[in-house]
Amino acid sequence: MTAVPGVLLPEMISDLIGLGEFGVVGELIAGLIGATLIGSFVLLNAAVAGPWAKRKITAAFTDRISVNRVGPAGLGTIVVDSLRLLSKELIIPENVDRPAWDLAPILVPLSALLGFAVIPLHPGIQVADPEIGLVYVFAVSSLASLGLVTGGYASNNKYSLLGGLRALAQNLAYEIPLVVTGASVVIFVGSLQITEIIAVQHETLINVGGVRIPQWFAFVNPFAFVLFLAANMAEVGRNPFDTPEAPTEIVAGYQTEYGSVYFVLYYLGEFLHIFLGGAIIATLFLGGWHGPVLPGIVWFTIKIWAVFLLTQWARSAVPRVRIDQLIEIGWKGLLELSFANLVLTAIIVGVIS
Amino acid sequence: MSLEEPTPEVGVTEEGLDYDALEDLLGETVRDRETHVNAEGFVIGPDDVQDVLYTLRDEAGFDHLSLVTAQEYEDRYESIYHLKKYDDPTQELSVIVPTPRDDPVSQSAAPVYRTADWHEREAYDLVGIEYEGHPDLRRILLPRTWQGHPLSKDYDQDKPQIVPLEAHKNPIADDHRDSESDTMFLNIGPHHPATHGVLHLKTTLDGETVVDVDPDIGYLHRCEEQMCQEGTYRHQIMPYPDRWDYISSGLLNEWAYARAIEDMAEIEVPEYAQVIRTMGAELSRIASHTIAVATYALDVVGDFTATFMYAIKDREVVQNILEDLTGQRLMFNYLRVGGVAWDLPEPREEFFEKIRDFLDGLPQSLEDYHNLLTANEIFQMRTIDTGTLDPEAAKQIGATGPVARGSGIDYDIRRDDPYGYYDELDWDVVTEDGCDNFSRVLVRLREVEESARIIEQCVDLLEDWPEDERDIQANVPRTLKPDADKEVYRAVEGAKGELGIYMRSDGTDKPARFKIRSPCFSNLQTLPEMSEGEYIADLIASLGSLDIVLGEVDR
Repeated sequence: MTAVPGVLLPEMISDLIGLGEFGVVGELIAGLIGATLIGSFVLLNAAVAGPWAKRKITAAFTDRISVNRVGPAGLGTIVVDSLRLLSKELIIPENVDRPAWDLAPILVPLSALLGFAVIPLHPGIQVADPEIGLVYVFAVSSLASLGLVTGGYASNNKYSLLGGLRALAQNLAYEIPLVVTGASVVIFVGSLQITEIIAVQHETLINVGGVRIPQWFAFVNPFAFVLFLAANMAEVGRNPFDTPEAPTEIVAGYQTEYGSVYFVLYYLGEFLHIFLGGAIIATLFLGGWHGPVLPGIVWFTIKIWAVFLLTQWARSAVPRVRIDQLIEIGWKGLLELSFANLVLTAIIVGVIS
Repeated sequence: MSLEEPTPEVGVTEEGLDYDALEDLLGETVRDRETHVNAEGFVIGPDDVQDVLYTLRDEAGFDHLSLVTAQEYEDRYESIYHLKKYDDPTQELSVIVPTPRDDPVSQSAAPVYRTADWHEREAYDLVGIEYEGHPDLRRILLPRTWQGHPLSKDYDQDKPQIVPLEAHKNPIADDHRDSESDTMFLNIGPHHPATHGVLHLKTTLDGETVVDVDPDIGYLHRCEEQMCQEGTYRHQIMPYPDRWDYISSGLLNEWAYARAIEDMAEIEVPEYAQVIRTMGAELSRIASHTIAVATYALDVVGDFTATFMYAIKDREVVQNILEDLTGQRLMFNYLRVGGVAWDLPEPREEFFEKIRDFLDGLPQSLEDYHNLLTANEIFQMRTIDTGTLDPEAAKQIGATGPVARGSGIDYDIRRDDPYGYYDELDWDVVTEDGCDNFSRVLVRLREVEESARIIEQCVDLLEDWPEDERDIQANVPRTLKPDADKEVYRAVEGAKGELGIYMRSDGTDKPARFKIRSPCFSNLQTLPEMSEGEYIADLIASLGSLDIVLGEVDR
């Protein structure tokens, strides 16, 4: 697919199959098809990550072999496990608060999928490119907190309640550093539009012996990059910040009472959020789909998987912090640092320009 | 620290305890004297318990109530308080409190030694002696609806237990639920990923803070004491200890029984067998400590931790060695009364080589654990100064093993009351003064090093042992019948602490009373002390740091 600057996926589809003449209806259909394609791509990543890659990666860290029975390298496990999970009985505990209990697991993956609407996987492969793209991503992805706290509260289980409250407290504490650190990138770029942010990063930072180093914000402001990585780890609830789930303390927290399809939805939501987090990191700090030789979508996939790998690595090696320590790190550490970073960036950008 | 000169403890002489001096100290209250294999016993009246124990604790220095044994005779009930000293556990004294059959009420020792709280609850539960002045005398192992006391003589075991919880409920009792209250009651267990077995913690939370925690045990009670009473001394009891602390501490547990019966029946174990026992026991200890560290990583790091698998892998090597030695991986049943079951596996060189390979790799493994756990800043943040157990409380509650040594109490039966081949070898007792979760992990990791030292010396000894002196068993009669009314209480240093056995003979080939002093039972009692006022995550971490095995707690 050749990329035409400024042309998005729905328009491309519309041009390709001639939906243009149907007006708004045509646009809607083209938008739906585009969203379905991008959604499928993201879900495919999650499907590989959840039942297979996660196990393989953890196994590699712990000197095990892991799934290898069905298909080459155990890849068939993805199908088998999906069927197994979906065919399980959906047990609905007594006195759960329906329909809130049913809505919560849908909300979590939904918010992550919505976030991908404005992320370009490849030049032009993007459902929409609003001027407030970055704000939109942060806004919809934080909807997940609502799903977690709803699930925790509606489950009629004390562990779930504790987990839901922990999740809420954690997301509140880390959302702000996340957004503020993101804002420091916006100051550099001067725009909230995602394509704009990526385009700026394509410019040359320096030339080292003929090799062009692009102006990725991870290179320009590594401090902000590290801050964002840490806050993102808390945002997706992985070690050292997996306190809301903490299976050995509060028995998986908000998802204790969920089984079968609802469990899959929660789990899927978590993986989608890890990938969305990876996508935001890739977009803000790692130059989005840019990269040498390989096509953009491959580079993008590599980048989000690198972030996924990092979360799995942390899971195997880094202890979990306690909830009070977690809140302290968030409010007393990351928040101050992210504001310091924002102010410094603003001053530097102001002086230079 | 007090500037006063410490007052000398009554009855301590160069040759050991002067029981006459102790009797003089207690004066009139001592009604009679008995002689047990391990110590003298003073018989006192049921109303003098607290006076006598206070005097013995404060003036004679008996700061360790090791065990409370309750039993029923034809004409009386009897509680025995087995007293020791943390400084020197060879200084022992039994305080025997008979109570009449028609009115089995005796004064509680709980105000003197906090550990008596649980021990007396168990005595009440299983034997049926009531303790006056006990803070909370209710059943501990059996369900609270249980009818009768199973180890008492008039217990009808065929009677069905049909009283449901509803019928047992007191209809006029207050409802403790308070809609205005800020606290939340939380059942942790009996099925919970971090309770390491079927343990139930009745927890009251204020937000994330633990206000109150009450361990509810007994889910894994398998009547081990009664089963041992049904078995003959010679062969039928030895398989049971493997099933108490079933996390690969089998040989250590077997040794507890072996030591008790060998002292009771005056059997001299050949030196060669003692060396093999020492080596096997320390291998068991390594296996047990590695899994303790592994599961602790699960509790604190999270359930995808690499540490767990690394430690399990190391334990696997130990298991393979133990399998070569004993033929079993978990339920070894390798010790025999008077020795061990068979000699080292042939070819011996190969076996020694295997052990040496393991010992050579151990320093690297330990360094990995230190890198992954103790050197990690988040791990330190989580464990240092949490789950604090000060030494005074630890002694009061009868904590032993790595839990006591993590609180700076220099107490190890292997050194203080030597058995086996330990006193011939060069090794150190590990203590840490932190009194917190971190210290307990450090103690276990350092103890693995010490065990490795012991094993290495044992292997050296065994390699050079002359072929014609390899006696693996003493000459033990086919049937053991110790004299009637012979009583013994003997302890060894198990993986979790002081594992003791009390036995009373009635002249037959089976013990009349078999009582197990489980280290986990007493160690678990420290949990409320450690975790009240701390966060729920610290409660889980403290519980993990105690390294309890419910099979040993409940027996």
